[in-house]
Amino acid sequence: MTQVNRIEGGQIDRSNTLKFQWNERWLSGHPGDTLASALLANGVKLVGRSFKYHRPRGIFSAGSEEPNALVQLRKGAAQEPNTRATTVELFDGLYATSQNHRGSLEWDLMAANDLLAPFLSAGFYYKTFMWPKAFWEKLYEPFIRSSAGLGRLSGRPDPDIYDHGYLHCDLLIIGAGPAGLAAALAAGRAGARVILADEDFCMGGRLNSESYDVDGQSGANWAALAVTELHAMENVRCMTRTTVYGSYDHGIYGALERKADHLATSEGKPRQVLWRIYSQRALLTAGATERSIAFGNNDRPGVMLAGAVRTFVNRFGVAPGREVAILTNNEDGLRTAADLKAKGVQIRGVIDTRKGETIVDTTGRKALKSVTLNNGRKISADCLAVSGGWSPNVHLTCHHRGRPTWREDIAAFVPGGDLPPGMTVAGAAAGHLTLAATLADGHESGARISAELGHANAPGDTPSAEDEPFETTAFWHVKESKRRAWVDLQNDVTTKDVKQSHQEGFRSVEHLKRYTTLGMATDQGKTANILGLSIMAEASGKTIPETGTTIFRPPYNPVAIGAFAGRARGKDFRYFRLTPSHKWAEENGADFVETGMWLRAQWFKKPGEKGWRDSVDREAAQTRKSVGICDVTTLGKIDIQGRDAAAFLNRIYSNPFLKLPVGKVRYGLMLREDGIAYDDGTTARLSETHFVMTTTTANAVTVFRNMEFVRQCLWPDLDVHLISTTDGWAQFAVAGPNSRPLLQKVVDDLDLSNDAFPFMACTECTVFGGTPARLFRISFSGELAYEIAVPTRFGDSMIRGLMAAGEEFEVVPYGTEALGVMRIEKGHAAGNELNGQTSAQNLGLGGMVSKKKDAIGSKLSERDEMNRDDDLRLVGFRPKDRAALLTAGAHFLRRGDPEDMAHDQGWMTSVAYSPELGHSVGLGFLKRGSERIGETIRAYSPVRNQDILVEVCSPHHIDPEGERQRG
Amino acid sequence: MAELAFTLSAAPILGGVNQSIGENRIVERDDLALVSIATPIDGEASLTASLETGWGLALPDPTVSTPRGETRAVRTAPDQLLLIFQHGTPNADATVKSKLGGTGYTTDQTDAWVILEVSGPKTLDALERLCPLDVSHFPDGGAGRTVMEHMGAMVIRLGADRFLLLSASSSARSFLHAVETSYRYVTD
Repeated sequence: MTQVNRIEGGQIDRSNTLKFQWNERWLSGHPGDTLASALLANGVKLVGRSFKYHRPRGIFSAGSEEPNALVQLRKGAAQEPNTRATTVELFDGLYATSQNHRGSLEWDLMAANDLLAPFLSAGFYYKTFMWPKAFWEKLYEPFIRSSAGLGRLSGRPDPDIYDHGYLHCDLLIIGAGPAGLAAALAAGRAGARVILADEDFCMGGRLNSESYDVDGQSGANWAALAVTELHAMENVRCMTRTTVYGSYDHGIYGALERKADHLATSEGKPRQVLWRIYSQRALLTAGATERSIAFGNNDRPGVMLAGAVRTFVNRFGVAPGREVAILTNNEDGLRTAADLKAKGVQIRGVIDTRKGETIVDTTGRKALKSVTLNNGRKISADCLAVSGGWSPNVHLTCHHRGRPTWREDIAAFVPGGDLPPGMTVAGAAAGHLTLAATLADGHESGARISAELGHANAPGDTPSAEDEPFETTAFWHVKESKRRAWVDLQNDVTTKDVKQSHQEGFRSVEHLKRYTTLGMATDQGKTANILGLSIMAEASGKTIPETGTTIFRPPYNPVAIGAFAGRARGKDFRYFRLTPSHKWAEENGADFVETGMWLRAQWFKKPGEKGWRDSVDREAAQTRKSVGICDVTTLGKIDIQGRDAAAFLNRIYSNPFLKLPVGKVRYGLMLREDGIAYDDGTTARLSETHFVMTTTTANAVTVFRNMEFVRQCLWPDLDVHLISTTDGWAQFAVAGPNSRPLLQKVVDDLDLSNDAFPFMACTECTVFGGTPARLFRISFSGELAYEIAVPTRFGDSMIRGLMAAGEEFEVVPYGTEALGVMRIEKGHAAGNELNGQTSAQNLGLGGMVSKKKDAIGSKLSERDEMNRDDDLRLVGFRPKDRAALLTAGAHFLRRGDPEDMAHDQGWMTSVAYSPELGHSVGLGFLKRGSERIGETIRAYSPVRNQDILVEVCSPHHIDPEGERQRG
Repeated sequence: MAELAFTLSAAPILGGVNQSIGENRIVERDDLALVSIATPIDGEASLTASLETGWGLALPDPTVSTPRGETRAVRTAPDQLLLIFQHGTPNADATVKSKLGGTGYTTDQTDAWVILEVSGPKTLDALERLCPLDVSHFPDGGAGRTVMEHMGAMVIRLGADRFLLLSASSSARSFLHAVETSYRYVTD
């Protein structure tokens, strides 16, 4: 097919021809075309089917407000549904198909829905599908689901790349039409740092679509020169193909830049970049959107907005029809007629509602054939240009919940007074709907804002133009029309639906929206909302401002979820933290588990081991038998220094720290303000003014943050300073009876005998002949154990050195699972027990809440309810039948009691198989637990279908007296 | 005394990465040591004097660093600064402590961070994709703390298109990947 509707002029490059595919047919266009203009040039009028009734639809607008011409772009995994043909820039090889039809676009089987229209009116789904009840799940829902939606996703991972970025400016100008360009020129010349963003690939806005002059030349030429000047300014950044979609707090705007959508391939670069723009001030020059008029059968292909018709004729050199009729309620009708006449397009009539004329019906199934006037006259036309007036694009002004105000003289909402902080609105977006006014407003705004920001250079002259005639009337829909008249083309909402919604009691505009789905499609009702409001207002006998508007929220236009995700996909979903022994662990069969951001070895598989239990049992048993090594770098480490560091810790921990001697470590418990336990760990005193705290891995950041808050806000008078050193030290637990002889081989000139370096001792030392280290005699496993730390850069070397030194003791590395087994055997609380709901008393650590001092949480931990004698206590459990395995989460019941919450006695928090004892062991909270040692109760887990008898015992399954760790 | 004839070897966090992407470079600076210095309450005057005597450095204001040769002080908190200097052995803390004479509390941070020096004509473009701070308007020596791809980070401008980027050593591989990706996305 040749480009039958191509006419002279326009901003397209006719020296180049681009081939593209539409529904598998090869067509051609030129650089500068959109898919919509190229389709029209090739005589394609039918481009899609409507949402509900599957009515044939054509191109309606020439911009991002398009409700009809939604197409699927590309194929395979890159297929993108619901793309507006009016915003798709044509490129060679472009592949597009129509959507929302069964069978071909021309013969859509679902078009039968149109015959069922009386049954599919507003809210039909609330009234139908009621019976028979059994049909809902099997028939109705599957059918509705398969019918719903417009395009189809490929169902495959998106092969494209997306990125995020951050930009900064003095002034963000949103929209590069006449007002935006004038503002950018003024602000740029004044010296302000400007970002000028426009969603189009060609700046200029309506200047490219109209035939008016600016500064004695065509508006399009003036725009091109303005862009050239702006590009030459170092302080101005011009961003085309960039939609500013949202206004957020603190002058931050979200913008989507389509980097490669107009290219056949993105060549490994991001297709789209989601920018966060930090602005001191913003100027909204987003222009206005033309709206339609509702009359009978106003949705046929060929019925278009008049402004769009002018765009296709003037900018793209395309005649949308051979015989054009015009329906208008304002001066744009004559403007359209003049432009068409200048291009030699035949005009079949201008129907001006101000003269009492209007259209009541149209004909033409797949393309407009004729229009019927209210006086009965029928005019043949294959294109109808409709202008119902213009609505300023106030959307972004409402993103902080500001409400627009009604201006009767232009019959439109304009930005209200309550704008997002830092935002100014100029041009058509502010209600200046004529060219000279919009240029002047843009220029003045750009100059004024720059001056306010301290940029004093001359902003230049105001661009000169003449104000075109402007007169509009509020004419929304043709009452005498008997046919269905569409309000929201994309969601198939008619005037009848709006009236029916009102009749059925949905009087609030928000209810109207949700009941009829008016304005809820991908176009968010850009061409439909005001029409719907006006009909609602009429039905309720109110004015439009009394009726009000729904609230506009980001995004202004649809943004792909992939763009929001940016790089956060697959393995890059989040970052990883690696321990210093990670490489060595990889080499030695480690299986890694994610603990927060860390990857930790959970066990080290040996040849012949069939499952994880084999590895874990071996590691735990060998550690208790001889010696094991575990990388514990992930525990939070906080350096605490200052003259008042001891006093500070004494207020942070519930137990005393004031008199901890230098060279000693103490176990500490932290409470929240409400008295609930939230973290535990050890703190070592390296000097009078220097402590090193360890926290749990999970709470490392929380504890640091809380302490920093306390330091800065509660007790700024204390001389205490905090800094995290978690990543600075590679720390290894060396546990087991042979840990002492192993470490004795490693540390330089240090007597590790029990007398010289007893339990809970610590020191700074050197290892392996001079490497600085810190040694702590602490134990999580309950064994004789140490933790030794070296600067991270030595971590890999250190694990290799420790393993070599331990060879004669058959040392094993152990992972987090064996660590867990041993701490459960020993009865040490961890995350399962410190769950944010348990008190020190629950944990059996009530004695650690000192009554002799005040510390965070200690007062509220004294509340009666937290000190009940019959409250939960942490105790140990073992199965009555030693061969049975305990399950965490099981609830405790007295034998014979019914299985209900009224008889609940507590729950099992942690379980493990103890290779040392040869049976399963558990920890859990039990009412009056510490008084019930020896009792047999039920551990009941309906979700695991388990109901077994367990014996209550000490939580210290092994070495309850602590002889091993002190030995 | 340790019985083993085994000595530990230090390894750069990223193995001393030194790579080019187009005309841009990413280099791990494992020759730099980091020591944080906290100001004791009412001790700013003494610390200021020690910095001047020890290194010829002024106490840095927020958002800027004060350089003297290869040594640089960066303000990291209201009562805390970071000293960055060339030092190869793991005793940076002791070195600083000896010069301060008790006028500040020191903590060795060398191993807690990875330091990348990034440079080249696409550096500002790459940082636009990575760094929320307005680094293109940083003066030479400008410094800031921020978050890049969810990782805590510090950025210091060394020249027109040369920056130091610091982030946690444990997530250094992810950080390097983020920096590399940013350069790849903006480099032809």
